Amino acid sequence: MLEDDLTVTTRDQDGVAIIDLVGDVTTFAEDKINNAYREVTNTGARFVLLNFRQNDYINSAGIAILIGIVTEVNRNNQKLAVSGLSQHFQKIFRMVGLAQYADIYQTEEEALSGFDRFRG
Amino acid sequence: MSMELTLPNQLGYELIARDTIAAFARRLGMPMDRIDDMKTALCEACINAMEHGNLLNPNLRVQILCHVDDDRFVIEVYDQGLRPFVPPPTPLSIVDKLTGMGSLRGMGLLLISQLSDESGFVPRDEAGNCFRFTFQRSGAAHVCR
Repeated sequence: MLEDDLTVTTRDQDGVAIIDLVGDVTTFAEDKINNAYREVTNTGARFVLLNFRQNDYINSAGIAILIGIVTEVNRNNQKLAVSGLSQHFQKIFRMVGLAQYADIYQTEEEALSGFDRFRG
Repeated sequence: MSMELTLPNQLGYELIARDTIAAFARRLGMPMDRIDDMKTALCEACINAMEHGNLLNPNLRVQILCHVDDDRFVIEVYDQGLRPFVPPPTPLSIVDKLTGMGSLRGMGLLLISQLSDESGFVPRDEAGNCFRFTFQRSGAAHVCR
């Protein structure tokens, strides 16, 4: 198989756990994304942002991983948002229904502002 | 006009095919948004061929044929079909998946059908599956379903 090309890192910004995804989101991404999600959840994250890079490749196996994250987010009463997707992948997220479960923003800054409406 | 590619049956090689077909489509003047649709549809068709047709056997190959005429850009993806690929009659929705009614996978054909203007398996007399999908060369012809 060709080399896996995804870097996943986490950081906290204004009380939002940001998971940065740089590279291809395919079947090979499962452990990296799930581990990052578990890491931020274990630290008590209530707001989770999946921050993509505009030119990433996301296939149906990658979408399946993200649906798995949605399942966990719902179970853990967290709020999930997505930023940095290209117009094409925003369309894909709407087609498969992911947009029903995660707000989609153009930029990280817009997503961080978007979480404000959930803060008590 | 036509073009042919043959890939090793290994996940990841669909990206090489994607970039090649995208370059071909760009030279033929396809709109960028349709090329994005074509790239995703092609990758999904190749992954299906590798996983479901060729059962991830690294000794097999996936073949891609492109035929282009004045109206249509047609892509056919062939596997060496260790077994015929039988897609489920109705793909599960995300709601079904979230409620545990089935695998989280299995959205490839749904994506291809939504992104292309026409798609489906082509009956063959010989072994192997052929999946064909088509894009109108006029971008305005496509309506996002």
